[in-house]
Amino acid sequence: MLIFIMRRAATMVLTMIVVSLLLFLALEINKDAVAIKVLGPYSTDEQRAIWLENNGYNDPLPVRYGRWLGNFVVGDFGESTRFKTEVSEILWPRLANTGILAAATFAVVIPLSLLLGVLAGMREGSRLDRSISVASIVTTSIPEFASAPLLAAIFVFYLGWLPGTSGMSDGFSVVQLILPVMVLVLYDFGYVARMTRASMADVMTTDYIRTAILKGLPYRTVITRHALRNALIAPFTVIMLQVNWLLSGVIVVEYFFAYKGFGALLLEASLNNDIYMIEACAMVAVFVAVATQTLADIGYTYLNPRIRFS
Amino acid sequence: MARKVLRDETGKRIHPYVPELCEQLRKGDCGRREFLRTATLLGVTAPVAYAMAGNILGEDSQAVPRAKAETPKPGGTLRSSMRVQRMDDPATYDWEEMSNQTRHILEYLTRTGSDNVTRPYLLESWEASDDLTTWTLKTREGIKWSNGDDLGADDVVANFERWIDPQTGSSNVGLFGGLAETVGDGKSLREGAVEKVDEHTVILNLSSPELAIPENLYNYPTAIVHRRFDEEGGDLSKNPVGTGPYSLAEFQVGERCKLVRRDGYWGDAPYLDEILYIDHGDDPIASISALASGQVDHVHEVDIQSIDLVENIPNAMLHEAVTAQTGVARMRVTEKPFDDLRVRQAIVACMDHAQLLDIAYRGRGSVGENHHVSPIHPEYFRLPAVKPDIERARSLLAEAGYKDGLRVKIDLGAADSWHLAVMQGFKEQLAPAGITLDLNLMPGATYWEVWDKTPFGFTSWTHRPLGVMVLNLAYKTGVPWNESSYANPDFDAALADASGTLDVTERRAKMEKVQAILQEDAVIAQPLWRAVFSATTDKVKGYAIHPTNYHQFQTVWLDS
Repeated sequence: MLIFIMRRAATMVLTMIVVSLLLFLALEINKDAVAIKVLGPYSTDEQRAIWLENNGYNDPLPVRYGRWLGNFVVGDFGESTRFKTEVSEILWPRLANTGILAAATFAVVIPLSLLLGVLAGMREGSRLDRSISVASIVTTSIPEFASAPLLAAIFVFYLGWLPGTSGMSDGFSVVQLILPVMVLVLYDFGYVARMTRASMADVMTTDYIRTAILKGLPYRTVITRHALRNALIAPFTVIMLQVNWLLSGVIVVEYFFAYKGFGALLLEASLNNDIYMIEACAMVAVFVAVATQTLADIGYTYLNPRIRFS
Repeated sequence: MARKVLRDETGKRIHPYVPELCEQLRKGDCGRREFLRTATLLGVTAPVAYAMAGNILGEDSQAVPRAKAETPKPGGTLRSSMRVQRMDDPATYDWEEMSNQTRHILEYLTRTGSDNVTRPYLLESWEASDDLTTWTLKTREGIKWSNGDDLGADDVVANFERWIDPQTGSSNVGLFGGLAETVGDGKSLREGAVEKVDEHTVILNLSSPELAIPENLYNYPTAIVHRRFDEEGGDLSKNPVGTGPYSLAEFQVGERCKLVRRDGYWGDAPYLDEILYIDHGDDPIASISALASGQVDHVHEVDIQSIDLVENIPNAMLHEAVTAQTGVARMRVTEKPFDDLRVRQAIVACMDHAQLLDIAYRGRGSVGENHHVSPIHPEYFRLPAVKPDIERARSLLAEAGYKDGLRVKIDLGAADSWHLAVMQGFKEQLAPAGITLDLNLMPGATYWEVWDKTPFGFTSWTHRPLGVMVLNLAYKTGVPWNESSYANPDFDAALADASGTLDVTERRAKMEKVQAILQEDAVIAQPLWRAVFSATTDKVKGYAIHPTNYHQFQTVWLDS
């Protein structure tokens, strides 16, 4: 098990190094563009030359990359050209905000979709199954850029029940979380529920479940002791993948509700060519992607003994 | 021979042109607005100017008619939805939002109101010499900086010096060209151009006559910073010393900017305790959602597509200003194929201005005429109307060697949705002449990185009270914001001549040449002049939208 985890961790580090190299080459190979970005378009050539010299940009490329990577490892990402402050001062609070949004979404999506998925999959083809399936297909097929304005039109402009933006400018507010979470849940729960349903339905047709039922075990025991654990492997992977989606894929929701999260930050950094911020955001996103993948792999081995230590 | 000096009842000198101006108003040669503008520019105080106009025209002479039924209530926080941008060096601001963030911390020597009339502000008065080349600026006594220092001539001189200094990189160089001299390939302050006379008096010695000095002093990058601004770090957000009624309490780019009222302000105390700017990102709907759900009291700008939405929100009020704000499809005259005048003329000849105004801006504005002087500018000269002429465009193209058609690409920013709409319309208008226009839509901020470099780009320009101001900023040879690299000595000379002419009718006549040269040289295809909109809730009182969307919240109060 230890070797397995170490091997996974090594792959993770290697992936991140490759990505960091690509990122560095894409954004920093043209040092003059970096200087213009940092000092502004009205800076003089002389000012740029001094800045490049002082910040070590005249060193050979491998030296620059090594130093850059070293700074990254210790959390020194440089100063944001857009926000005029240390990247880390903006990045971590934004990441925490997205974490809050993701946690709130998960807190609703996971119980809801697992429950509905299991209920539907237990009796494939039943009326309950069909209702759940249709509902989840419909909600999943409405993209966030359509459901966000629709929900805002209803709850903000028509009913006037909920706040229209979620900037939390006066401190944390649960009410302001409702609309973004609603949009995310609406889009996401159907997907996870359908995966759970398919997996559950598969398991319910296996021989060992039939045997368990035939040998007279109570239906409840068959479901909770025998079916669930096997049926949850597929949804588990899907859920782990949702972590990535919630981190950088919620740009639309964060943008629409002016939520100060990681997705909106990534967008703003890209739109403003904020080099150091883009680099930091990209590395954080990659880290989360590979880390969740590694966790998912480890989780598998716990849930399914057949793939253990393979 | 020395002329007799005219004085008013208080003994103050009256500029010799003022009686002539009164005569023109009486005869109807100049309108009321132009009279007020020019009279105040020449040093007549606004109330006196309003009274003079009232006497001549037999109207009510009240300066700014205001409903006095309600008594302002002090206190409260005005929450405004606006992008929160950088706040380092005010002289390098390139967004009006930046100046709004600091407009209540730093102040200007003059102030142009929503009525387009400019009044002294940090100045007590100004005086122009008869030939308009010498301007005497007197600062008000008793104004204190928030750090306790007195405001005086040294501050004014220091600001002029840093505006002209190429190290600062300020666009103000374009407005105060008469103070600069060309050294090498840049400009620097001419020896003796800005002269301190005593602790409160500064004299500007211009190399050519200039009428718009007071108006230029309220252009948004001319906020007055402390004389030791550069020594103390040169970053306002880190060292917010100002003369204004508010001080900076919180500031984070992209998030919020909070101002709190400070004690010891020299002028009338404002009503609001706090002004809070909240950044809701680039999505125009987010600001309106915030207004609808009571999260903000004011929305800085409502785009043309959202005005119905605001009108349907109970308790919300839409404010509209007729302005000289515009957007221009400008061609860089040094780049192929736009270095060929015939190509530029062919492109411009295809534009149907009225149609673009209707489809892209719902008719809320007026048509452009490709010379960047608006009908609301006092010196506007009405040239023959421009009409689309596809046949002419075709023959010009053929002459220029593009018989089989021409393909050009225009860069434009996505931040303002009407830019895209207007260029999509233009694309269709160009097609019959054999010109294919490719639209290269880019993020707003990315466009501002290439706006003065791209061969063909669509740039928005804000309102300025005089037509010559923008022409001096954007089309005069070699100025920093000359995005088209246009250089025409005849145009420069005609513009300088018009900029230094006091007589309204004479100046208007001189503008004919200026406008005609720019139109004929086809540097810009200018579809329209647009109205701008902002919104408030109905509890915001004393608010009027400024044509430049400058925030003047000293008179605003909240009716809770």
